[in-house]
Amino acid sequence: MTARGLKVWYRVHKWTSLACTLFLLVLCLTGLPLIFKDEIGVWSGTTVLPPEMAADTPLTSVDRMVEDARRRRPGDKVMYVSRSDDQPAWFVGMGKTVNAPEPTAVFKYDARTAEMINDVPQRQGIMFTIRALHVDLFSGLPGTLFVGAVGLCFVAAMVSGVVLYAPFMRKLAFGTIRERGRRRARWLDLHNFLGIVLTAWLLVVSATGIINTLTIPLLGVWKRTELADMTAAWRGQPPIETPGSAQAAADTAKAAVPEMDVAFVGYPGGLFSTPHHFMVFMRGDSALTSRLLKPVMIDAETGKLTDSRNLPWYLTAILVAKPLHFGDYGGLPLKIIWVLLDLATIVVLVSGLQLWLGRGRTPVEAKIAELEGLAS
Amino acid sequence: MISRLWRGPLAMAALTLFGLLAALLGQTEGWWIVSWIALSIPLAMIAVRWARS
Repeated sequence: MTARGLKVWYRVHKWTSLACTLFLLVLCLTGLPLIFKDEIGVWSGTTVLPPEMAADTPLTSVDRMVEDARRRRPGDKVMYVSRSDDQPAWFVGMGKTVNAPEPTAVFKYDARTAEMINDVPQRQGIMFTIRALHVDLFSGLPGTLFVGAVGLCFVAAMVSGVVLYAPFMRKLAFGTIRERGRRRARWLDLHNFLGIVLTAWLLVVSATGIINTLTIPLLGVWKRTELADMTAAWRGQPPIETPGSAQAAADTAKAAVPEMDVAFVGYPGGLFSTPHHFMVFMRGDSALTSRLLKPVMIDAETGKLTDSRNLPWYLTAILVAKPLHFGDYGGLPLKIIWVLLDLATIVVLVSGLQLWLGRGRTPVEAKIAELEGLAS
Repeated sequence: MISRLWRGPLAMAALTLFGLLAALLGQTEGWWIVSWIALSIPLAMIAVRWARS
């Protein structure tokens, strides 16, 4: 690499890293408890598991749960019912209106007895605060997009870091962390070694995090294009006041797509349906397909199938990105590995910051020469 | 021919990507174990170097 090229990449690495390091530290620290959000929920009592029963205990109708939720909040509308992906349980979301942006209450039911087992806390508690800090810095969509920009900056820092790895490590064996010599050389070795070992994981987690930040804008695109096309014939019609059976809609959708299971039933007039349809989202049963959704439109009056399409590629990308970002798809050991990789990332950030803070007031050429000297 | 400089980093990247995809695409829990092992190797490498330093 030419001296000029080295100088340019050094500057890219320095400034992109500096621009995102503090935010990344916040993301890494808040990400740690989020990896164990399910376990923390059970431990803190905010998540209630259905009681143990025989594995072949039959499931009851979801309509019984909807009736119970209506009795508990007679002034509210049912927005959706959704099935837990790992427990015999359903959630019923209630709102001031069926298309309210946020539910006023979410009740969790035992899918075998229709007993309400948890009034799921909404927008409160330490985990809500940590999640808000991680997802949008308490700033809604602009905050989420800012977090995406931080992720882009980090990707640029990683790419430039990989480019700089060769000139700074060509005289050292892979994994060298020198025991003797200057303290700054040890920080450099640690930064280079951890950075290059973690690069693939960091690129995956950053890229999937960036994709996640685009969820709301891309859902908007889908609603304006494909969903609008699916629902065009019913636009402007008055909503059905008393929609039919959610269980019947789920059964019809299951019959239409037998290889998948019901994950979510959006009520007529809701954010993802028409005034005349239930929108049933189906999911597969393998590790990958259980993350993917297929919408099925069911007429809320007749209970008949109206339409069914695959999600567009950009929403499929978001659904695939989520597990690769959260690390929640390979059991508890994978979560522990995720934590250790996250902690190692914090060391990379701190060591990079340490190298920057320990710099002198010297021109960039002298700094590069000094770092190259440390690497030899 | 991959230069000596890049052999280690590329091996770590390959193990990581394999581990990430094994748990996601594998159809049985056996793939989870394969995934844990693959992703643990870079961590073990870090732990060994850290301990030595």
